[in-house]
Amino acid sequence: MLLLALLPCTLIIGLMTGPAFISLADIWAIYTGSGVSQEQLIIEVIRLPRVILSALVGALLATCGALLQGLFRNPLADPALIGVSAGASVGASSMIVFGSLLAANGVLLGLPAISLGAFVGALITSVIIFRLATGPRGTSVATMLLAGIAISALAGAATNLLSYLADNDMLRRISLWQMGNLDGATWDRVTVCATIALLLAVLIPRESRALNAMLLGESEARHLGVNVEWLKRRLIIYSALGVATSVAVAGVIAFVGLMIPHLVRLLVGPDHRSLIPLSALAGAILLVAADALARVVVAPAELPVGVVTAILGAPFFLWLLIVQRGRD
Amino acid sequence: MLTIDHVGLTISGVPLLNNIALNCPQGTVTALMGPNGAGKTSLLKVISGEHSATQGQVVINGQPATEWKAPDIARFMAVLPQSSTLEFAFTAQEVVALGRTPHGTGLMRDTEIVSAALKRVDASYLAERSFVQLSGGEKQRVQLARVLAQIWEHCEGNSGTDGILLLDEPSASFDLAHQLMLIEIVQQIAVLGVTVVMVMHDLNLAAKCADQLVMMNCGHCTAVGSASELLNPELIKKVFSVKAKVMPHPVDGTPLVVM
Repeated sequence: MLLLALLPCTLIIGLMTGPAFISLADIWAIYTGSGVSQEQLIIEVIRLPRVILSALVGALLATCGALLQGLFRNPLADPALIGVSAGASVGASSMIVFGSLLAANGVLLGLPAISLGAFVGALITSVIIFRLATGPRGTSVATMLLAGIAISALAGAATNLLSYLADNDMLRRISLWQMGNLDGATWDRVTVCATIALLLAVLIPRESRALNAMLLGESEARHLGVNVEWLKRRLIIYSALGVATSVAVAGVIAFVGLMIPHLVRLLVGPDHRSLIPLSALAGAILLVAADALARVVVAPAELPVGVVTAILGAPFFLWLLIVQRGRD
Repeated sequence: MLTIDHVGLTISGVPLLNNIALNCPQGTVTALMGPNGAGKTSLLKVISGEHSATQGQVVINGQPATEWKAPDIARFMAVLPQSSTLEFAFTAQEVVALGRTPHGTGLMRDTEIVSAALKRVDASYLAERSFVQLSGGEKQRVQLARVLAQIWEHCEGNSGTDGILLLDEPSASFDLAHQLMLIEIVQQIAVLGVTVVMVMHDLNLAAKCADQLVMMNCGHCTAVGSASELLNPELIKKVFSVKAKVMPHPVDGTPLVVM
């Protein structure tokens, strides 16, 4: 409930903050059509799409984090940590560099080629990690994280190679992806992102009960009537789709998918029926806030939002490891 | 009703089960016994559909196990594994409620069943506790409540179909009182028509509650019969390689194995 009230507040704060501060009264004036034209331009063209995009990306990442943690039955899974984001970023980078050879105007099979590349990259890495880390006795966290490191390294090398091949414009776009940045927000990107988010918002909650059963173990879930093989495939596709979309529009933003489901679980427990919607909400709030922070800390320049989430997230991850070690 | 029709199981070239034939009529309790590695758990996994038999077949309620769809079979067959790991902090009652996943009976009815199942395994006081913080025996009791909740209608005798409960070493982590509680539950639900198959190490406990004992060794079924037929020093020597004495129980006369 609190989260529900918090989201509009952060959205408005997100609209207000930036190199040029715009007060609440001015935003209201713009909304009613009597604002200053320059401020109106800032809000409509720059800040509104950016804030909405942050919210969508945050929601996607947090939801995908919750999904992956349920799939791996391990609370340490995170799209960036296990290499899925890196895979998506290779996919996106190769499309930036080679896309023009494959498709005219950056559109392939009616889809934006970069998003498609990111999706394929995310899907391939998800499947590889899952195959590697999951044995008959469940998922090995050590294998999962190590495989994530290896794949991230490989993906990093591939991205570097692509950067070497790229021309100046391509290079700038690739480095943008690697840092995680929301300053490229446009209404087009918002539309793509919102469509995918809406699709996933319909599909993912249907899996909540099966995901709950999965937490007991794969064979336990099977005995509870869950068709585990198909469930795993759907979850991998959904999370790859979500991560890919967020990477395609905003680059690699780490730790949101790790932190948010954790915090929500501390509040409401691990039941996916409440965990998933609340994670989406909290993820949106966190990323809007982090992006607002990224814009004001070093104004008029701005930090990549990925840096902000990493500064928040890395200590959080270390803290989790300490807590886990204490429990074992 | 469960028929194991000359089942063999070979996994990556290793034969685990060989020509096992067994019939478990409705409402009977079958105890699978034998030394470690005899194939007890493998047999249970073939019955539960986790492994598919490489020879022969398992017939459940008149239909081969492989032809049942997961959501359909889960409505009348529940499986309690040896141990399960749960990393997420569900409360005990949430874990039991997961047993209701295959049913669409509604929150009200499910809540009733969950608290009744917890009460049945003497774990009502654990309802609000976090599962990950429970002791081994408490966890196993909560898991037992979960599988009972899954086939609760059958356990109450209010169901048209035949319920099946598969238990893999259910009493391993129970204290004495709860071992007896387990036997009582098993006998009670069997009377109401649930077919129970369980892996057990304690010969005396099995003798107390099972209608038929199955002695397994090296993937073979060495002997099938009632406790009075099977529990004799020769067979125990043959299967377990231990010298034991068997005497009648001073009160009810069932065979009592003494080391």
